Amino acid sequence: MLRQVERLPRRIAGYFRHVLRCLTGGSWWRGIALLGGLLTATVLGALFVAWTGLVSVSAHTEHWAVTRWFLGFAMRNAVETQSIGIEPPRLDDRTLVLKGAGHYETGCAACHGAPGKPRSLIVQHMIPSPPYLPDHLEQWDPSELFWIVHNGLKYTAMPAWPAYERKDEVWAMVAFLQRLPTMTPAEYEALAFGPTPAPGDGGSSALLDTLSDPLGPVLADCARCHGAEGLGRGAGAFPKLAGQSETYLLESLRAYANGARKSGVMQPIAAGLDDEVLQRLARHYAQLPADATVPATDEADEAVEYDEAELAQALRLAEHGAAERGVPSCTDCHGPKSGPINPAYPAIAGQYAEYLALQLELFKSGHRGGTDYANVMHSAAQRLTPEQIDQLARYYASQPWEAIERVTEPRD
Amino acid sequence: MKPTVLAPRSGLLLATAILLAGCDGPQSALAPAGDGAERIANLFWWMLGGSAVIWTLVLGLAAYVTRFSRGKHSLVASRWLILGGGVVFPTVVLSALLIYGLMLIPALRTPEDVGMRVEVSGEQWWWRVHYPSPDGGGPIELANEVRLPLGERVAFDLLSPDVIHSFWVPSLAGKVDMIPGRTTELIVQPTQLGTFRGACAEYCGTAHALMNFQVVVMEPAAFERWLAHQAEPAQPPRSEIAQRGLESFLANGCGACHAIRGTEADGRLGPDLTHVGSRLGLGADVLPNTTEAFVRWIGHTDRIKPDVRMPAYGMLPDDELAALATYLSELE
Ligand code: HEC
Ligand code: HEC
Ligand code: HEC
Ligand code: HEC
Ligand SMILES: [Cu+2]
Repeated sequence: MLRQVERLPRRIAGYFRHVLRCLTGGSWWRGIALLGGLLTATVLGALFVAWTGLVSVSAHTEHWAVTRWFLGFAMRNAVETQSIGIEPPRLDDRTLVLKGAGHYETGCAACHGAPGKPRSLIVQHMIPSPPYLPDHLEQWDPSELFWIVHNGLKYTAMPAWPAYERKDEVWAMVAFLQRLPTMTPAEYEALAFGPTPAPGDGGSSALLDTLSDPLGPVLADCARCHGAEGLGRGAGAFPKLAGQSETYLLESLRAYANGARKSGVMQPIAAGLDDEVLQRLARHYAQLPADATVPATDEADEAVEYDEAELAQALRLAEHGAAERGVPSCTDCHGPKSGPINPAYPAIAGQYAEYLALQLELFKSGHRGGTDYANVMHSAAQRLTPEQIDQLARYYASQPWEAIERVTEPRD
Repeated sequence: MKPTVLAPRSGLLLATAILLAGCDGPQSALAPAGDGAERIANLFWWMLGGSAVIWTLVLGLAAYVTRFSRGKHSLVASRWLILGGGVVFPTVVLSALLIYGLMLIPALRTPEDVGMRVEVSGEQWWWRVHYPSPDGGGPIELANEVRLPLGERVAFDLLSPDVIHSFWVPSLAGKVDMIPGRTTELIVQPTQLGTFRGACAEYCGTAHALMNFQVVVMEPAAFERWLAHQAEPAQPPRSEIAQRGLESFLANGCGACHAIRGTEADGRLGPDLTHVGSRLGLGADVLPNTTEAFVRWIGHTDRIKPDVRMPAYGMLPDDELAALATYLSELE
């Protein structure tokens, strides 16, 4: 009995060889022709079945277990292989987490749920349905998460990052996802929505005034990230908008909306609003009082130290540029200077240092995009060294956000 | 019979005339207008004449032995010919040429009796020029044009902040490389009035072929007047549109890269524009100096000169470009 079982494979193989020889008469050519014939018949058969309309495309029934296993197997291996060589930057940075949280609420929570927010019933009827992410992240390391969020997953509803060149934003999302599994609903609320303004303070009443306005809900959404007073969220994740030039705000929002300025965070928001709303938003933020103080650093981080000698050196760089390296002066276009400045040029004094440094890096690498004037700034940033970027960002951040005199002539 | 002979002959004459005309003009080493270029041209003509004589001689000999005297030659005579014509003659001729060439060099280099020193820096892809101030103050910065007094020996200090360029005004003198980290020297003594053309003669990047300049040789008195005028600050705008041009220049941050003496603009990345309207050409002599050319340059900089280190301002409204062009072209 045992010997018979041992011989079984060999007998089956012999049997197959026999059948094959009968079919092909032992000729290679006939074997190949047979194989071609079989393939053609299979393809034609599949086409026929599809043509009859009998294939099940209904999402009402789940995949077969074997199909589901195979798809998961292919996906897992693809992500593992294709994320080889991706080096994560430092991810335990509150600014990154904050930016990731803000966008998770805009772009992911609707499908994947969030702490305190189960997935909607509708989403649960997708095939494959997006998993409730907080419970699903342990299996991926940061590089793999980066790959998934950057590229999306074909044949599922998982979208790719809308601004593919903005890898820095994808890493912000990964930094947030690292925190997600242990996050309480209250923590999520605080990260993604910001502090609820205490009643009676200036900002909240300004917000309440606008709530009666049709613009109210839109502004409330902007406030999640940019703060009710347009001063950002303390860390450099989100730029200050209050007191910024109206022309620059409007042209930047239009640039996000038409894709000329790249950001997976802001593009979807701006693209969903029509031009009249953008105009009103720009006017609203331009009119908010600018912050007279140097940006408050985030409680979690150490206070930023500004060394006097270093600042003096940075001031020289901002005023005169570095002609030998081909870096122009910054003050001619961004102030402080006497005389008016083109309103399409942003004010940068008093802006968050981290935000400024990031934008300068993006300009330098050619990935920022922007308004019709962006080429001017791309050329100015092209030859900055990383040290100069750091110096200039800290210098401008340490200056009070002063009102810049603008050319008043109406444009465009 | 006659016309058929005449036709090729007149054709040949015409072709020669056209070819020879190419030897003349503002950028020809064969039409020298300066001491250095004259010496180089002389050397060239001597060498051309000498080589013509030697060429005729050698070919004549070859024809003689293959056509007219086909018999056996004396072995001794042949040996003398080979030794004399193949060793002695070239040695003598080449040594003479070398000595003559070396003798030319000191005259082109000694800074004795140099009247003025001008500094020219080749930058991607234009020329920064410093003249000594006429009143003894600091040097004055100009760009993309050189003017010289007739007959005076002028020393050029040649520099480069980026890559190797080469300073060459064929009509006036030989070419000398501009090497980063070093100062090279060239002495020029113009012997004729006129306007000549210079170019960068060492490949230096994308827009190398668009890096030219004009050299104007003037009567000494006219030169003094010109230099005194260049040393002055820019004249204030004379019309309302020029005034708007100045405001636009400052508001758009052109002053981050350009200086206009007498205004707040003090940038050093690009050419000094204090008297840009007085130059013969624009953008290192790639465009004529007209108001329309200013509009084209400011609006389409990168299309006129690929990879240029000035951003194009094509997004400015047309009337603003026109105002800028008017203001700048009036800066004479
Ligand atoms: C339209 C719905 C949708 C949106 C919006 C969406 N996803 Fe997904 N996501 C999916 C689907 C569907 C899958 C695939 C699930 C599967 O393959 O089983 C997925 C898979 C993932 C996975 C892999 C999870 C796992 O273990 O299988 C991650 C991580 C992820 N998404 C992150 C995000 C992030 C971050 C965002 C926001 C930028 C986002 N997703 C937005 C639908 C969505
Ligand atoms: C999810 C967070 C988030 C929300 C919500 C949000 N923003 Fe932003 N916003 C950002 C981030 C992040 C940036 C920087 C993007 C970049 O790197 O280009 C930004 C940039 C901007 C800028 C450009 C600022 C500058 O100095 O260049 C403007 C203008 C702006 N947002 C306006 C708005 C308005 C108006 C709304 C509401 C309709 C809004 N944002 C909602 C996160 C957000
Ligand atoms: C010739 C004018 C010009 C010069 C010089 C210049 N900039 Fe800019 N800068 C601009 C313009 C125009 C923009 C807006 C680009 C856009 O978004 O379309 C800008 C944008 C910026 C931004 C982004 C601001 C934001 O809110 O997103 C930063 C940061 C910046 N510049 C810093 C600098 C620094 C530092 C220097 C000096 C090395 C400098 N700039 C020199 C014109 C200039
Ligand atoms: C980032 C620096 C930069 C800025 C900003 C800039 N330029 Fe320039 N500009 C240059 C450089 C560099 C050149 C020389 C280019 C070349 O010929 O290769 C130049 C050349 C010129 C010339 C030709 C000068 C000559 O001698 O022929 C004019 C005119 C000019 N710029 C006008 C302007 C105006 C007007 C603005 C503002 C609207 C401006 N530039 C802004 C760098 C700049
Ligand atoms: Cu060159």
